[in-house]
Amino acid sequence: MPERVILCIGTKKGLFVAEAPKTRQRFALRGPFGPGVAVYAALIDTRGTPRLYASSCNAFFGMKVLRSTDLGKTFKETRSAPAFPKDDGRALANIWALEAGDTKEALWCGVEPASLFRSSDGGDSWEMVPGISNHQHARKWQPGGGGLCMHTILRDRDRVHLGISTGGHYLSEDGGKTFTASNGGVGAGFVPDPFPEFGQCVHKIAGHPDAPGRLYMQNHGGWPDRPGIGVLRSDDYGHTWRSISEGLHSDYGFPIVVHPHDPDTVYVVPLEPSTRTCPGGAPAVWRSGDGGGSWKRLARGLPKKESFFTVQRDAMDIDEVKSPALYFGTTTGQLWIGRDGGEEWNCLFDSLPPIHCVKVALV
Amino acid sequence: MARAMTITIHVPAPLRACCDGASELLLSAPSVRAALLQLERSHPSLYRSICDETGAVRRHVNLFVNTSHVRDREGLDTALVPGDVITILPAVSGG
Repeated sequence: MPERVILCIGTKKGLFVAEAPKTRQRFALRGPFGPGVAVYAALIDTRGTPRLYASSCNAFFGMKVLRSTDLGKTFKETRSAPAFPKDDGRALANIWALEAGDTKEALWCGVEPASLFRSSDGGDSWEMVPGISNHQHARKWQPGGGGLCMHTILRDRDRVHLGISTGGHYLSEDGGKTFTASNGGVGAGFVPDPFPEFGQCVHKIAGHPDAPGRLYMQNHGGWPDRPGIGVLRSDDYGHTWRSISEGLHSDYGFPIVVHPHDPDTVYVVPLEPSTRTCPGGAPAVWRSGDGGGSWKRLARGLPKKESFFTVQRDAMDIDEVKSPALYFGTTTGQLWIGRDGGEEWNCLFDSLPPIHCVKVALV
Repeated sequence: MARAMTITIHVPAPLRACCDGASELLLSAPSVRAALLQLERSHPSLYRSICDETGAVRRHVNLFVNTSHVRDREGLDTALVPGDVITILPAVSGG
C-alpha cells in the first residue's frame, strides 16, 4: 500500500526530491543532486522496488542519466547515457523524456536532436530506435524554441505515441519498429500549409490508461490567423485530432495533464502567446471535466497579479491519491500544489532554481 | 626517463571521477587526436566527457597543449612531443 508521495523536481541547477506522507501536509526537500547541472527529464519508476531516474544535462561534459534506488536519498550515474552511433553525424544535446518500458529494467528515452533510445538494463546501456530516429522525416524536422526535442513518449501495449517539437505526433502500432506521422487536424501557424503532414510544434501529449484511444495535445497555439489549433483531442488513438480550445483564455501553453481517475478531466496552463507568461500577470490552471467541452479557471491561492512566469512542458503533474493534487513548477523557481484537483493552491517551495520538470508518484 | 617519453594529461577536478580520482594521466601519443583515441580505450567515461559521439571536442571544453589552445595550433592534429602537457579545462561559461 503506497504511503508516501515522492516529487522529482528537475531544475536548471540540479534535481530536487520532495517527500511527504499521503496527507501531503508537509514536504521534506532534499538535493540538489547533480548540482549545477540542468535536469529536463525525470522518471519515478514504481514497478517493483521504486527507482528514480533523472537526466543530467551538463553543458560542459555531456549528458548523464542519474539513478536512485533509495527513493532519492542518493543518486549515481548509470554506466552510460544514450549516444548516437559514431557514423551517424548527430551528437546528443539533451535528454527530454524518460519513460518505463515493458520489462522491469526497460526504459525509453527521448532526446535532442529528436531521437528515441531504449535500455533493457535500467539505463546502463542504450540503443537507438531506428524506426523513428532514422525516419525519412527526421532530417527535415526543425528545432523549436527549446531545441529539436522528443519530449513525449506514451506507450499503450504495441502503440507508441511520440511528441516532437517541431516534428509533430508520430505513432507506432508495432511496438516501436515503425512510425507514421499522425497529425490529421494538428495545425501549424508558422508554415504556409495550415495542416502539414508533419513539422508541427507539439508541446506535450497526454493520455489515460483506461481510455487509450483518447489523447490530449497541447500544440503551439496562439495564432490570431489560425485560432483554435493549440489544445486538441483525439478519439481514435491519435490518428485524427480536433480542437477543444473553445472557452480557454488562450490556447497557447506547454503542459497538459489528465486526471488519474477520470479520462474526461484534463488540465492546461494557458499563457500569453507573445510572452509565454501568465496572462495579465495572474497565473491559473484551467480544468475541463468533460473532455474539453468546457473549461473552468482554477486560481484560488495563486497570485492575482504581478506574476510573469512560464510553466514548461514537463513542469506539471498530478498524483494518484483518491482526491489528487496537481503540482506545477515555474521558471521563477516556485513549486505549487493544487489540492483537491486544483481547487486550492499553495506554494510548497518558493526559491528553487528555474524548474524544468515535475514528476510525482505514490510509493 | 620514462616520464620524458610521455605526454601528461591534466584532468580537471570535475572529471577525476572518470579516472579513479587521478589528476593526471600519462601516455605516449604523436598527436592530440591520438591521445584522445587512447583515452577512449583506457578511460571511456573521461573521453565521453571531452568529446561527443562525432569525435568533436565538446563546445565548452578547452584543450591546451602546454600553454597553447589547440584551436590556435592544428586542432586535434596538433603534434605532440615527449614532455608535452595536455590540459583539459571547462570553458568560462554558464549562468
